[in-house]
Amino acid sequence: MAAVRETVETVGEVEKYKYGFSTDIESEKAPLGLTEDTVRFISAKKNEPAWLLEWRLAAFRRWLTMTEPTWAKVTYPPIDFQDAYYYSAPKQQAKLDSLDQVDPKLLETYEKLGIPLTEQKMLAGVAVDAVFDSVSVVTTFKEKLAEAGVIFCPMSEAVAKHPELVKKYLGSVVPTSDNFYATLNSAVFSEGSFVYIPEGVRCPMELSTYFRINEKQTGQFERTLIIAEKGSCVSYLEGCTAPQRDENQLHAAVVELVALDDAEIKYSTVQNWFPGDEEGKGGVYNFVTKRGDCRGANSKISWTQVETGSAITWKYPSCILRGDNSRGEFYSIAISNGHQQVDSGTKMIHLGRNTTSRIISKGISAGKSSNTYRGLVSVHRKAENVRNFTQCDSLLIGSKCSAHTVPYVETKNPTAVLEHEATTSKISDDQLFYCMQRGIGEEEAVALIVNGFCRDVLQQLPMEFAVEAQKLVGISLEGSVG
Amino acid sequence: MNEVMTEKAAQNFIDAYESARTVLPGADGWLARRRAAAIEAFAGAGLPHRRLEEWKYTDLRQTLDKAGFAPAPEHKGAVVLPETASASAFSALDRHVLVFVNGRYRADLSKAARLPKGVELRGLADVLTEQWAKDLLERRFDEARQAEQVVDLNTALMSDGMCLRIRKGVKLDKPVHLLFFAADDGASHTRNLVLLEEGAEGTILESHVGEAASFADIVTDVVLGNGARLDHVKLQDESANAVHLATLRGEVGAEARLSSFTLTLGCGVSRGQSFIRFAGEGAEAQVNGAYALRATQHADQFCVVDHAVPRCASNTVFKGVLDGQSEGVFQGKVIVRPDAQKTDGRQMTQALLLSRDAAMNAKPELEIYADDVQCAHGSTVGELSKDALFYLRSRGIPEAEARRLLVLAFLDDVIALAPHEEAREILRGLVSGWFEEASI
Repeated sequence: MAAVRETVETVGEVEKYKYGFSTDIESEKAPLGLTEDTVRFISAKKNEPAWLLEWRLAAFRRWLTMTEPTWAKVTYPPIDFQDAYYYSAPKQQAKLDSLDQVDPKLLETYEKLGIPLTEQKMLAGVAVDAVFDSVSVVTTFKEKLAEAGVIFCPMSEAVAKHPELVKKYLGSVVPTSDNFYATLNSAVFSEGSFVYIPEGVRCPMELSTYFRINEKQTGQFERTLIIAEKGSCVSYLEGCTAPQRDENQLHAAVVELVALDDAEIKYSTVQNWFPGDEEGKGGVYNFVTKRGDCRGANSKISWTQVETGSAITWKYPSCILRGDNSRGEFYSIAISNGHQQVDSGTKMIHLGRNTTSRIISKGISAGKSSNTYRGLVSVHRKAENVRNFTQCDSLLIGSKCSAHTVPYVETKNPTAVLEHEATTSKISDDQLFYCMQRGIGEEEAVALIVNGFCRDVLQQLPMEFAVEAQKLVGISLEGSVG
Repeated sequence: MNEVMTEKAAQNFIDAYESARTVLPGADGWLARRRAAAIEAFAGAGLPHRRLEEWKYTDLRQTLDKAGFAPAPEHKGAVVLPETASASAFSALDRHVLVFVNGRYRADLSKAARLPKGVELRGLADVLTEQWAKDLLERRFDEARQAEQVVDLNTALMSDGMCLRIRKGVKLDKPVHLLFFAADDGASHTRNLVLLEEGAEGTILESHVGEAASFADIVTDVVLGNGARLDHVKLQDESANAVHLATLRGEVGAEARLSSFTLTLGCGVSRGQSFIRFAGEGAEAQVNGAYALRATQHADQFCVVDHAVPRCASNTVFKGVLDGQSEGVFQGKVIVRPDAQKTDGRQMTQALLLSRDAAMNAKPELEIYADDVQCAHGSTVGELSKDALFYLRSRGIPEAEARRLLVLAFLDDVIALAPHEEAREILRGLVSGWFEEASI
């Protein structure tokens, strides 16, 4: 198997990306390329009802008429969409009854990644849905969640068990025709998490999904749907890694959040897909559509993201503030090093009265990378008393990197109060000198200063993630000084 | 259907070029070839429209299609300026004055006598044989070529303009005032050329007035030599049926300083674009402006400052007051090229919405490829502060008066950035007058 050649051994050499190994596990794939048959194949594999197949096919036909967006400040060779596998699943003999029957190799992989899947090893309180290539491997803590009435399961299971909910909400925030990659995702999405929090329930634990691309030449197209009923509350974490390969892999996910009256959703991401090697070879193309809909009054959606991986990131987690008094938040740290290219930001669409939003974006570019913040704050005519605060700061480390800020502000209502500010600078020599003079090494000092620069955002992360993210910030910048 | 519609205005310009080709200035020389190439490029690209990112908020193609401007006729004989404050704005100042009617220079109405030695001030047709004018006309000002489309149109059809050359070390004794008056309906294309050689200094005042349904297409190319200094104050107060398209392209040499200020009060649709590029270290550029709009007016300010070399400073501040159903646009970009270390780039846009139906779109961009720089931008939109209003009213100031004070104060700190002291006072008076007429 080709995958074996470039596996565990190489990890030792390149410490920077410690998730770069791949797992030698037999898998079942869809035929190479993308045709209507591929879509049918995926749908059949998942035993999907006819309406969903139709939904996928409609998206696929639409996709054929669309062209790739080119407005982002990223450059890459054209993607051959026919030279990829759109479905890959670890082969398993029979249906599983319990965790013990999961392929031990798989479990080992997740252990290496630091995700304790087995319940015994769980720290209290994080339920994990792990997605390996295209299928969800296991979902932990199911019973405890079920007691509270929370549904947390792989998307395919939700389609089978709760078709009415899926039918009602799927595509209601990100329609199949939304954009090139979202449409592609609608046609071929294979897995993802489904979360439903019933009325008035505070989800008893943090929910978490772990995504991993393992198979060579495969794309990952997961679709996550979170519905928070009236008065409910949930915090959701997402983490991603991929093996180190010298080809580019495509990740085109769609995340839809729906918050009804008084509901609150907090969505945190630590994205650490393989960023490519020192020469910029390989790495994941992370083209993701994430959108939250504050459909009910007094609802709140908060996005927090730490973006350290991927060769190219194209991602704009957004909030549609439809309900009166609803609130949207976006906290982001985007770190780029080496040859990475990041074009990320958010959209805050104010439709309802008294809606508020807050955007804090920290971009750090090092090496030869390019880091762009692109955001939109839009206030519609009927949205009274809107309040927005935007702050995007960029930090440049080294003279070969670049940082760009492209904020759009559109107002059609005079009662809106919108503020935007942005700065770009480098780490001051004084700060660096101060640290080094006290015996802190240069790299460590940079990590320390950067952590301080990102503090506003790091504070927003759930505890367990915050610690990891801080370390990640340091690791991502290794080799960027001197 | 749509395609046919969109080509209408562009076709009008192409036809205008064909019929005027032989009588345009420079028809027998190198410029004829340059014009032919420009009109060909323009025909290929057409007029800019919303699908182009730089024109996202202003659809020039649609505007001009709807208005259907024919070429403005040459106006001969006496001219009566409207009795507005804007029309007589700079008349009290001691100045050289050049009058353009329907975009054409009128020597009989102008007064620019006894210029200091080393200052040349002439019409476009008179300088075409000179190398410096040729250099300016063929210079590529913005590498991104963002202005190209509309500049091509201007190059093909430019019929007149002011050409100012100030020789090394010479200071212009008093401001040059360019008074553009639209007496009749129609389109005019003006090209101004400004060359300030090393250490030269000068001030240009520019006013655009008229009650006609006119389309003014003005391109001003400025080259400042090392240590040169140019102050530029522009006032635009044309009629509600008028469309104004002004492009300022500047190249600023080492230690030179360009300071430009625009007050926009008139026109149904106006677009003012500035493309400033630093060519030498230690230079400075100020590109500022204020606008006050009402009814269905639409004003778009577009500004790109290109820090191509190290140690330059730029500052851009635009503030606007929007009443009625008016719409304001600010699009700015600061580019810091690799190696342009020690750059200081600042950008600020603020808008005050006075009515329920007014709208504002802002897009201040930073594009930075060097690390040792200080760059910042800010953008705010809002209505008059209720607290401030209450404060004033609680001290016995009637609401209308309180609003006036606050609006004028809001605009005052950007007008303070206008370079010429007496001109600054005149602009203050105009803004205050605008407010008297407004029904707010």
